[in-house]
Amino acid sequence: MDPKAPLFHDLEQALLEYDNDAAVKAAQAIVDGGLDVMAAVDVASAAINMVGDQFQRGDVFLPELMLAGETMKQCMAILAKGLGAQGGLHRLGKVVIGAVQGDIHDIGKNLVATQLGIKGFEVVDLGVNVPPMEIVERAEREKADVIALSALMTTSMPYQRDVINVLTEMGLRDKFFVIIGGGPVTVEFARMAGADGWAPNAPMAARLCERLVSNANRPPLRETVVQE
Amino acid sequence: MAINREKLLTVLDRAHKGPICKQFDWDTRVIPRSIATKLKEYGLQKRCDPANPVNQDLELADRFFQAALDLAAEVGMLCLDTQRVIKFSREELLAGLEAAPAEFTLGDGKQAAMFRHRGLADPTPPIWVSPLSIAVSEDVFLPLVEGIAAVPEVDCLEGPSLQTVWGADLRAGSPYELLAGKLQADLFYEAIRRAGRTGIGLYAVGTSPTHYGVLGGYGIPGGYRPAHDIVLVLSQVEIKTSYENLFKVAQAYNCGGMTYGGSWSMIGGYAGGPEGSALSCIACTILLYNVYQCVNGASFPYDLHYMGNCGRSALWSLSLVFEALSRNTHLCLNSVLNQTAGPATEMLLYESAVGMTALAACGTTSCTGPRSAGGKYSNHITPLEVRFAGEVFKKAAGMTIGQANDVANCLLPKYEALLGQAPKGQSFAECYDVAALKPSAEWQGMYDKVKGEAVKAGLPLV
Repeated sequence: MDPKAPLFHDLEQALLEYDNDAAVKAAQAIVDGGLDVMAAVDVASAAINMVGDQFQRGDVFLPELMLAGETMKQCMAILAKGLGAQGGLHRLGKVVIGAVQGDIHDIGKNLVATQLGIKGFEVVDLGVNVPPMEIVERAEREKADVIALSALMTTSMPYQRDVINVLTEMGLRDKFFVIIGGGPVTVEFARMAGADGWAPNAPMAARLCERLVSNANRPPLRETVVQE
Repeated sequence: MAINREKLLTVLDRAHKGPICKQFDWDTRVIPRSIATKLKEYGLQKRCDPANPVNQDLELADRFFQAALDLAAEVGMLCLDTQRVIKFSREELLAGLEAAPAEFTLGDGKQAAMFRHRGLADPTPPIWVSPLSIAVSEDVFLPLVEGIAAVPEVDCLEGPSLQTVWGADLRAGSPYELLAGKLQADLFYEAIRRAGRTGIGLYAVGTSPTHYGVLGGYGIPGGYRPAHDIVLVLSQVEIKTSYENLFKVAQAYNCGGMTYGGSWSMIGGYAGGPEGSALSCIACTILLYNVYQCVNGASFPYDLHYMGNCGRSALWSLSLVFEALSRNTHLCLNSVLNQTAGPATEMLLYESAVGMTALAACGTTSCTGPRSAGGKYSNHITPLEVRFAGEVFKKAAGMTIGQANDVANCLLPKYEALLGQAPKGQSFAECYDVAALKPSAEWQGMYDKVKGEAVKAGLPLV
């Protein structure tokens, strides 16, 4: 199937213009028309990566990135259904992400969630101010591969460690990689808390998750992986 | 100025009955689209001039103010707990600004600090509120605060923050915060007694980001004093509030106290580039003074890519925000300067020299800072950078925006390439004799060197 066919072009353009309705319509038409859904996934991934690059260069800003990310999420849900008949969609893994209890800052968490989506992860965003037990329960229910925890305040950082402690005490620590980050969260704190990974910014956090899930070693890792 | 009950009840009512708006729509559609529309309507697009990091176009600043007033009346402020918008008419907003005081006092006795509205190039010395709420361990908290309070340029204290409460982790939103509210007041009073600064005004409660610290420490016996100290109310980005903030206002009202209203906008974030961020900050400031009835404060921009506001575009945006607000209101405006380098680095001092000069020239009444090492590392704050920033801020009073621009252009090349990778520097204990409260020879040498360079750049520091 020619990935330059009109519907593929429509999908690409809609993603580049953060036009949710048009993108969803194009994705659905591709599935309904029996076109090569995997080629559509490639087209959509390339488009969303372009938006990510534009953000890194400062050509577009956070709202555009978030809108493109949300549009991509909806398109992928449609394409994934379509792929059922064509062998299924390969995702890198599933990440449950949230800003921990006591922390209502969402920009950093949103950036990481969007970058993870761009990378090809399925992302379950729990929002902000999420208690440790709720994070653990959702990670279990979602059968997540990675738990990503954001904190922008020193007073919310203890809750990142609490999530790891809850996992350990409930005998679940070997089921999830745990990465932590945020303004005041240093690599030293990540090591002390027993996190599997730490990264200084959103693109690095996405690379970190890719590195963790493709690693042969299972959690908990003996040393915190630092992605810089 | 006492908080007006009728206005407070009106705000609470609108927080429950205003138009519904989901946060995702607010962040990704309402705010960016409204800002983009206003920038276009008022011809404010692509006006950032990195060659002049302190904005020189005052007509442009005035146009930004008018656009921001329109924006504030159009969008209002989103309450996160109810997902409803607290809206005001243009007339209500202007009346709210008019009702805010042009001067007020914090502290008492010999330590009383008079805050007055300042214009551009105003020779009135601005007020130095120091430091920001950087986390500090309990073992050095008292000597550090004593050292900072002993700096003569410091007029009021806000931080630092306690990292623990009697050895226990301080957790946001937990009972520890209630304990921390009172503990921080106790420690502040002991530190300022030791420093001979009893009576100095305090901002409450830097340690506790939620309302619990204020409930636990403000207006209770032995706690922060409503007649002399002020409640910190920090609004969420972008132009959002929450019950946490409104609890603080209600507690200030109950105690007969005053509020400080602060927020920020990230360049590269929801508001877009430096122009959008400036517009958002001005609009947010107008709303802060209406929603919180604050006597001091403002919203300020900083750059998402290096989490500071001492680079060219952020400085341009920062200077324009305060030019616009100073020229078009009588408010007692406060800014925050976000440095990125840590103590015992020349870069921290250069960032302070550039930023504090710009703020003094652009009409801020007060500034809170420094944010040494970006506020990222525990115990990375010392009295010496507090003193340097305060000296610059006070001595730069009376400088014009042209002179401030010259200083910025002279000193920015000394650090701007490092903004994304600023040095962490050293902790208080690493670069200070904690018992004697004396900086290391190396740190003192950096201070002397940068002060000399700042004088050469045109700052009247001698």
